[in-house]
This record gives sequence, C-alpha cells and structure tokens, in this order.
Amino acid sequence: MKRVTRHVGTLLLLLSLILIASSIAFAQIGPDIPREETLIVDILSGRIPNPKRFNAWAPGTNNDAGIQQCMLDPLWCVEYAQGEILNVLAKSPPIYNEDHTQMKVELREGIYWSDGVQFTADDVVFTVEKLKVNPGMNYSAEFDLGVEKVYKTDDYTVVFELKNPNTRFHTYFLDRWGCCRIMAKHVWEDVEDPMTFDAYPPVSIGQYVLKEVDPGGYWFLWERREDWERTAVGQMYGKSRPKYVLFHYYGPPEKKVMAQARHELDMCDLTMETLQASLDRPDFRTYRRDYPWIVNIDPCITGITLNTAREPFDNRDVRWALVLCMDIVDVMAMAFDGAGAMGALHVPPTPVYLDWYYTPMEGWLHEFALDIEIDGKPFKPYDPGASQRLADYAKGRGYAVPDDPAQVREIFGYGWWKYAPEVAGKLLERNGYTKDKSGKWLMPDGKPWKITLTSNANPSHPGYKNVFAVAQQWRRFGIEIEVATSEQAGTLSTYGQVEASNNWPAYEPWGGHPDLHRTLRMWHSKYVKPIGEVAVGHHSRWSHPELDAIIDEMEKIGFDDPKLMELGMEGLKVAAREMPSIPTFSYPGVVGWDETYWTNYPGAENPYQQPYQHWPNFKFMLPFLEPTGKK
Amino acid sequence: MPFLKKYLLPRIVQYLVVILIGATLIFFVPRLMPVDPVQQTLEKITIQGAFLDPDAIEQMRATLQDLYGLKGGLGAQYLTFWKRLFKGDFGPSFAQFPTPVMTLIKTSLPWTLGLLVTSTLLSWLLGNILGGLAAYYHERKWASVLESIAMVMRPIHYYIVALGLLMLLGYAIPLFPISGGFSIGRKFILTWDVMLDILKHALLPALSLVIVGTCTWFMTMRLLVSNLMAEDYIVYAQVAGVPDGEIAFKYAIRNALLPQVTGLALSLGQIFGGALITETVFAYPGLGTLLYSSINAGDYNLMMGITLLSVIAIATGVLIMDLVYPLLDPRIRYD
Repeated sequence: MKRVTRHVGTLLLLLSLILIASSIAFAQIGPDIPREETLIVDILSGRIPNPKRFNAWAPGTNNDAGIQQCMLDPLWCVEYAQGEILNVLAKSPPIYNEDHTQMKVELREGIYWSDGVQFTADDVVFTVEKLKVNPGMNYSAEFDLGVEKVYKTDDYTVVFELKNPNTRFHTYFLDRWGCCRIMAKHVWEDVEDPMTFDAYPPVSIGQYVLKEVDPGGYWFLWERREDWERTAVGQMYGKSRPKYVLFHYYGPPEKKVMAQARHELDMCDLTMETLQASLDRPDFRTYRRDYPWIVNIDPCITGITLNTAREPFDNRDVRWALVLCMDIVDVMAMAFDGAGAMGALHVPPTPVYLDWYYTPMEGWLHEFALDIEIDGKPFKPYDPGASQRLADYAKGRGYAVPDDPAQVREIFGYGWWKYAPEVAGKLLERNGYTKDKSGKWLMPDGKPWKITLTSNANPSHPGYKNVFAVAQQWRRFGIEIEVATSEQAGTLSTYGQVEASNNWPAYEPWGGHPDLHRTLRMWHSKYVKPIGEVAVGHHSRWSHPELDAIIDEMEKIGFDDPKLMELGMEGLKVAAREMPSIPTFSYPGVVGWDETYWTNYPGAENPYQQPYQHWPNFKFMLPFLEPTGKK
Repeated sequence: MPFLKKYLLPRIVQYLVVILIGATLIFFVPRLMPVDPVQQTLEKITIQGAFLDPDAIEQMRATLQDLYGLKGGLGAQYLTFWKRLFKGDFGPSFAQFPTPVMTLIKTSLPWTLGLLVTSTLLSWLLGNILGGLAAYYHERKWASVLESIAMVMRPIHYYIVALGLLMLLGYAIPLFPISGGFSIGRKFILTWDVMLDILKHALLPALSLVIVGTCTWFMTMRLLVSNLMAEDYIVYAQVAGVPDGEIAFKYAIRNALLPQVTGLALSLGQIFGGALITETVFAYPGLGTLLYSSINAGDYNLMMGITLLSVIAIATGVLIMDLVYPLLDPRIRYD
C-alpha cells in the first residue's frame, strides 16, 4: 500500500511541476513582437479553417482576418459614421456618360503593391476580365451580365462599356463589408485556375503585409509595410500607428472578456451581458462611454419580417394590427435593456439617416393616418413621445440619461408607432377576427390565431432577443405565439418556409450615401417569388405597383442626383403605409475597447470613423489611433 | 482455419457492412436537413453588406450548384460520392470552396489527435488504476476522498469544468495561455522550442479533459472492482496471504478491465469527431469546430468527411478489440 501512496504522491508532484513550469513565459505576443506596437483585434467570423487561403475572389474565403482590412483596397468605400463615400484606389467618383452605358474610373497614382510593382489601370482591367470568364468566382455573373468591354485609356484611367444602361454599376466596386476588390495582375496572370489558387503568401496593396499565420486558424499577424506611404491609406491619412495588427479569435464572448482583462485584446465585439460584466474595469470603454453604450451608427435595422405570401400576412390591416399591439418601449427594454435607437421607418435611425430621411419626413409621420376612424377621426399612428418614454424607462433603471430632448432623440431615436391595442383590435374585427372568452384572438374561420416566429439560434444576436420580446407583446395581445429557433433560419426564410421571422425588415442601405435604391429594389415585383422558390428579393415576398414605379424611376437617374432622396422618401412612405415588415430599432453594435495600449478609438464623442475592427474601413482608423506609451 | 472462417471473416464482413451503412447514412442524412449549401454561400457573401445583383444571384446560384456537384438526382450524386471515396477524396468543401475536404481535415487532425489521444489514454489509465485501487481499498480514507471528488466532478457539465479551470488558471492565477495551439508570431517549424510551446498550450485543455475523463473511468472501474470483491478467487487469495497490491492489480483490476478496454476502443474511435466544447472554450484547433461549422454551413462534403472518418475509426477500434480479447481474457476462445 505504501508503494501505491508513493506512486500517487509522485504523480501529484509531477503535475505540480508541470503547472509551475507552464507559468514561465506565457506572453501571448512572441518575443519579437512588442505588445505596445501591436493592436490586437477580434475576428468576427471566428476560427478560419483554411488559414493560408487569401484568394478574396473565390466564394468561400473569409475576408475579415485582415484581407479586407489590411491587405486589399477597393476603388471606393462607404463611410457611414460621417455619411460619405471615400475615394480609395480611385482618385475621384465614377464618371458616367449621359445614358449610363459607359463608366470611367480615374485611379490614384503612386500606389504600389507590397512586392514593389506599381498599381495601374492594367490591374483593374485584368481583374474584371479574369472574373468575367471564370464562372463561380465572385462578381463573375455581374460582369458577365453587365460588362461589354473594359479597357484603359492610359495607365490611370479605366473605361467600362456596359451592355445596358446602369446608373449604379460602380457599386460593385464600392466597399460596404465586401465588393469587388482589385487583383495584382502580375501575381494572377499566370494562374491557370483562379478558383483553386490560394494567393499565399499574399501580395498586399494595403499598408500591411502578412507576417505570420496560425496553422490552426485562430490568429493572423500583419506587419506595417516599410513603404507605407505608397498606399492609398498612406496618401489619404498618413502612417498607420500600430506596427503590427494581430487578428485573434479567442472564442465565445466570455473568453474575450478574459482576454481584455489580461490586456491581450484591444478591440472586439461583445454581447450586452459581457459588456456589462466589463464596465467596472478602468481601462475598458465602449462606443458611448455611458449608457446605452452601444454603437448607434450601424447601418442596419432590426425587426420582424412577415411572409406576405402566406395568410393572414397578405392583409395590410393584419400587419398593422401586429404593429399597434406592440409597445416599443417594452420590446426594447426586454430585448436590450433599452439600449438602442428606435426606428419607425424601413431605414436605420443612424445620425446620417436621421438627417437624410427621418428629419425631413417627420411632418409626414405626424400626419400619416391609417384608413380607420377612431372617435370619428382618422387614426394617426405615429408616436413622437416613444423615445422619451424609453429614456424615462432607462432613468427608472438607474442609468444616467441626458435631459436634453435633442440628445434623447439622437440616442433613442425620434419616435415609433403608438401602442394602441384597441385600434389593432378594430383593424382585426373589421376583417372578421373575433376574441374568445379567454381573450384569445380567433381567425375569421373561428380557429385560434397562431403565429410561429422563426429566429436564428444565437441567443446574443439582437434579432434573437428581438423575436422573444415581440412574441411577448403579441401573446399579451391575445395571439398564440410559438418561437422556433434554428441554425437554418436563413435558409427556411429564403424558401418562404416561415410565417414571420427576425430577418432584417429591410435590406441594408449603403449607410454612407442617401441612395435607397439598394434597399427598396429588393421589394420590386420582378424579384418576388412564390413560396418554395428562393427569394432573391426581400424575404417578405411583398411588392407594390407604386414602389415598382419609384424603383424604376430611381434606376433612370444618377447615384448623386438630388431627386434620389425625394424618391427614397416616397418609397419609405409606401413601405410604412403597407408595412410588409416591422422595423423596430437600429442594430445595437456592442463593442469593447481596452485603452491600456491604444486610445483615440472612434467613440461617440469623436466618431471620425466607423467603429468596428471587422469592417474594411478599419484601415482608415489605424492612422488615428494613439499609443499610450505603456510598455 | 476455423478461426478464419468462423470468426475473422464474418467480423470483417460485418466491419465492411457497418462502414457501408454508415457512409450511406452520412450521405443521405445531411441532405434531409433544411439547409441549402449554395444559399449559405450566397448569404455569406451578402449577409454583412456586399451587394449582389438579384439577377446575377440567379446565375451564380446555378453555377455554384454545378461546381458543388449538386446538380442531378440524388442517385447520381451518391454514385459520384462512392467513386470519389474509393480514391480517398471527399470532394471540395462548400464553405471553404474549392479547398478539398481532405486538406481541411489534414490541417485539423494532428491537433485533435495530439490532444485527445493523450488525454483519453491518460484519463483511462488514471481512472482505471485509481478506481480499481479505491474499490479494493474502500475502507481507507484516501479512497473515500478520491471517491467523493469523482462523485462531485462527474455530474458537472464539461463546459463548466473547462470554463472554471480557464478562469482559475488562465485568469485569476494566470499560469496558462487562454487560447490557441501555440504562441503568436512563432513560425510553425518542428523544433524543440515549438514542441514545448505546443505542449504548454495543450496543458490546460488536456487537464480539463483528463479531470473529467478520469472521474468517469474512476466511477465505472470502482463499481466493477467492487462487484468482484466478494468473488471466491479474491477471498481465497486474501486468505492465502497473497500481497494486497498483487491481488488488486492482478486479480481484481485485470478481471474488471474487459468492458473498460471496449470503452477505450470506442472512446479512441470517437476522437475523430473532435472535442467541440474543448476547442471552443480554449480556442484550440481541431476537428470539432470544423464539424460544427460544416453542419451550420450545410457543407455536406466536409460533414461526410469527418463523420466517415469517425465511423471507420470506431468500427476499426471495435474490430481490433474483438480480435485482441483472447489476449486480455484467456476465457475467450475462437476455436
């Protein structure tokens, strides 16, 4: 027995020794990579299973571990914090001929690839021609359908001859978390099969080159180029401050909190719960330093999409009844503890869209009436006081909320639709709906009204939280609601196999440009498909002749025509009146920044740039970050 | 010859049939899921903002269906699947198109094998030895302590154990790195330094697996040996004055080992499915996260590749165990 005890003791001693030995030298950055010169950021897509693949033009490649932020540049880029389009590799906006069958692009001069070869019009021409003849590559179909001919007139001017008039052809090159970026001709011209080519090690046109990559796919280390001034970012904003940028996926949000607490992660996306867990740390900050903390400039709106190809969602009265039985304050309180900006229109209430659409349409919103009379007057559903009610809720929770009504409107949105369950009831009753003894709604055929709300299966996703909050409102109103969560919610919705879902209620707009063609076009009748077929347009499978006419008109006028906003407002009015989907609040981006090594992040007090590390625009933030000097 | 005819041949036929049925199920089951790999690819491109023309989407959809090999009926796809399989090719991954499935598996497999083979064997050895001893010396204090620890640890969900360990030894007492397979910035060349670095990164994930695994094996072994304690041959050996250690190892533990060896074979086979929670919690590379992402993305080929590997490994493990039983237990004869 003594021998056994001795063996166990030896084993424990060995384990202890291993533990002690393992405590030595556990710096996450290698010895040649000084922490104070390195910015460490999260990878939104997570682990990249094929880490040595840098072919950004093939459909399966993940771009957010540095490809789109450090390695490649677009011709133009959407900047949604300031609401502008940046000329990146192009030196000016696109120049169309009168009938929009030709587009000329003037390129920036003095730009070099990281291997020393100059960037010229040849690269752009080569990219388009290469992709066009290789089906399955990204943008191959677009160029095949749209480009008759592409050629250069000199080393810095490219001309596209289009097959048909297209006022927005340049948007294929306009980066908004993705676009057709430019290939290095000298790298790709001898490649036989561009689909299988890994492009490793990558040649970069951005300010960084790949230094090292984790074969397991969890981190990618990029180093600033010696010739950083010979890049578009160098010409636009100067030198990026971090010498190294490390894209590192730590795993689930709780791991990111740990990594930030160890100062091993500077920028990341969090959940509301993990953000609140980090608030006490002195070096931690969020987009807005105080409540509601979240990013309110994300160009995307959350909400509920109704499948109008299915009964009873083909009935406008029913759709509006579902809006009026919701108290938006309750919804936002339950979904996100009130942290968000409510949006009544099918466009996100970000500061730029507030200026472009919400402010000019406020008068219309106040006067807009449904075709139902209450107390002998047309019912006006807009509630401009909803954002103040939300602010009051937040105050009640003990959060510091500004008293200035202008600030309240900027933080919480301008207003939403009234909570008017009695009007909702009248809308239903005039369509044959009745209530049973227990207060549950019955359909016109006398059967109980049941709705299945389909959601993705990610509990920290705003859409997931939203769907449960809305379900509670509809249940309270007397509808039987079942929430079905599935990893395949997107596919189910694409094929119309859902009644209502948390898919975005409107296709995301550009964010940095007032053109709403991108959003409204998805409701054009030519894209509406029957249930069972893939929805290439919006998943609400709804269209309206008035909106068709507006979209057709938009397509005839240029991207910067002042009439576009007018048409956009008309389109939004049709969408609000018909309510094919229910917008709720702007996408509440939850970011966490550690200020131990770096400061001057683009927070709410100084939104010089969009705030995410996974957007391609991240490259424009890097010259403005400030090292703290901590070693 | 009777061994070959009566035992080996039927078992090899059974082995091949299991793999055939497994492969067929693996081919058809993913296709019953409400997921469209082409749609997943298109969504991946568009979901975060890139604009694709709706007209172009239809053209691209048709092209991708062709490239993915999803055109034509299920029968034709099934035949192609077998043709590929005989060449050791699972086809291209859809989510990482056109990277071959085998390339992705080869990238992740060494991490999974390194971590899970070691931790499975270690926990099996520890659990069985400690469990057997604790049962044999059940009246000793240390045996009660070990049993109490195992009883408390075993029902706790692995995720909680892993996260707890990580918080304790990665955050509160930062002894271990909290993620990855080796240090950032290092070149992945097989030198002693890199090997040591890999070992250091594997320690915490391995420790979590060993703790939970040991407790599980401990409890079953303890139960098995407890049942043997009243057997005549144990009592006789004790009465005859055979040393306790010898009785414990040669009489009790060895006789209780047979089901545990079967369990080990199955556990080693399951390794090829990866350790999803371990990989997620410790951000450790491996097949688990690869399989999980392939299911979400509707990546039929990658799903088939990983699961078929698992089926073959488990079937092979069981076949080998069937063949080596006589060596472990002389009572089993095949003639």
